[in-house]
Amino acid sequence: MATALSKITSSLMISQVLTSTLEVVINKTLTLSANNTSLEKLTQKTLMLELEELGFPLSFSVCNTTEPTQVVVTTLTEHADCTINTSISTLRELKAEQQITELIKQNKLDLTGDIKIAQQFASVAENLDVDWQSELANHIGDIPTHKLIQLGKRISAKLQFASKQINADASEYIVHEKRLVVTRSQIDQFNHQVAEMNEQVDELEQRISQLINRKTNQ
Amino acid sequence: MPASEQNQSPDKQNSLPDDTTHFGYKTIDKEDKVSMVAGVFHSVAKQYDVMNDLMSFGVHRLWKRFTIDASGVRPGNAVLDLAGGTGDLTAKFSQLVGKEGKVILADINSSMLNVGRDKLRDKGLVRNIEYVQANAQYLPFEDNTFDIVTIAFGLRNVTDKDMALRSIYRVLKPGGRLLVLEFSKPEYELLNKAYDFYSFNILPKMGELVAKDGDSYQYLAESIRMHPDQETLKVMMDDAGFEQTSFKNLTGGVVALHKGYKF
Repeated sequence: MATALSKITSSLMISQVLTSTLEVVINKTLTLSANNTSLEKLTQKTLMLELEELGFPLSFSVCNTTEPTQVVVTTLTEHADCTINTSISTLRELKAEQQITELIKQNKLDLTGDIKIAQQFASVAENLDVDWQSELANHIGDIPTHKLIQLGKRISAKLQFASKQINADASEYIVHEKRLVVTRSQIDQFNHQVAEMNEQVDELEQRISQLINRKTNQ
Repeated sequence: MPASEQNQSPDKQNSLPDDTTHFGYKTIDKEDKVSMVAGVFHSVAKQYDVMNDLMSFGVHRLWKRFTIDASGVRPGNAVLDLAGGTGDLTAKFSQLVGKEGKVILADINSSMLNVGRDKLRDKGLVRNIEYVQANAQYLPFEDNTFDIVTIAFGLRNVTDKDMALRSIYRVLKPGGRLLVLEFSKPEYELLNKAYDFYSFNILPKMGELVAKDGDSYQYLAESIRMHPDQETLKVMMDDAGFEQTSFKNLTGGVVALHKGYKF
């Protein structure tokens, strides 16, 4: 199954589609960022990301042969100054530079190589500040942008509402109609009973040890 | 002509007299091929990139990216992008080898070389790229010069492919590798038929419309059919001295990437 998946991924060149898209997005974002996101410290450095969910690595190399400096994204494995092994869900947390050490402690990521490279990449990501709304307005005009943003907000709000509704309905169905799981109050009651029993067992234990002590003293 | 007849076996190709070769489906004198191929590329050079995007629906960019990913390139490497044309591979290699590395864009055709040089300069890529007009059969470089040699969509236009492979082997450093990206034989019969229809009915018309040169794109379709298939090219690389040779079919075998090492 895994081999078949790997064959399909390779045949469709999904990794190349992803790396080329990422490369365009990253370099465009760097160009548009209002903050001065200097990549100078990272020139000729490569950060390799090995994500559990992907079957291939992502290598981010900062290149010094063009002006402005650009990031090239490949699946090359031959050279990396720092390699991070993690999952997609942890990626968002990686954006904060000071989080890296914390995530290593929590076993959420493995890091080999120079940690400073990872921190500098994280710092660049953290400092990115792009006003996407005004960028879009430059291309399609103010009014369409405003309408598009409003539409986006409405869709987002509806999706959030639908998501909450589905969660509530599913919970109602599972807990009350199908009785597949217990309610919060039942869990609380159960926990209370367990705590009471614990206390009783402790008391019994103390009484037994007292009786044993008395017996041995006689 | 059906694909089965178009894909000639090595025996069939070898049955040609020593002084003749193929130019598409035509059999011509070997000494005429260079100038005839040159004519094709002088004619299409300016529209080459546009036509590549149109003909392949942009997929050629992914094939080239796959080649870069398979190259194992490192900072500081010396790379020869043979038949490099308009410099797509050179641009990426130039970024990845860095200032300490070097990329040579070589092409036999001066028009293609000029278009490539202008394009790369416009992209600001000037620091580590050199341009050389060279015939793949007689590479003007010292032995053991390059870490990587690539030839993308160029080998089928070379008059004597075996000689070119031996020449490439000579200029590679020990441990260096050759990557040949080239049109090949589709793996599935249905794809093969659709590909044939597209190549012989649509491609020349596209060439006529965009590049105002249908004949050159007719040659392209014919030259692809006359090019050795995956296994044959692998054997040719073995014969030239390459080791650990392998190939990877892309887009169902429409294109294949061959790789071989010099040890």
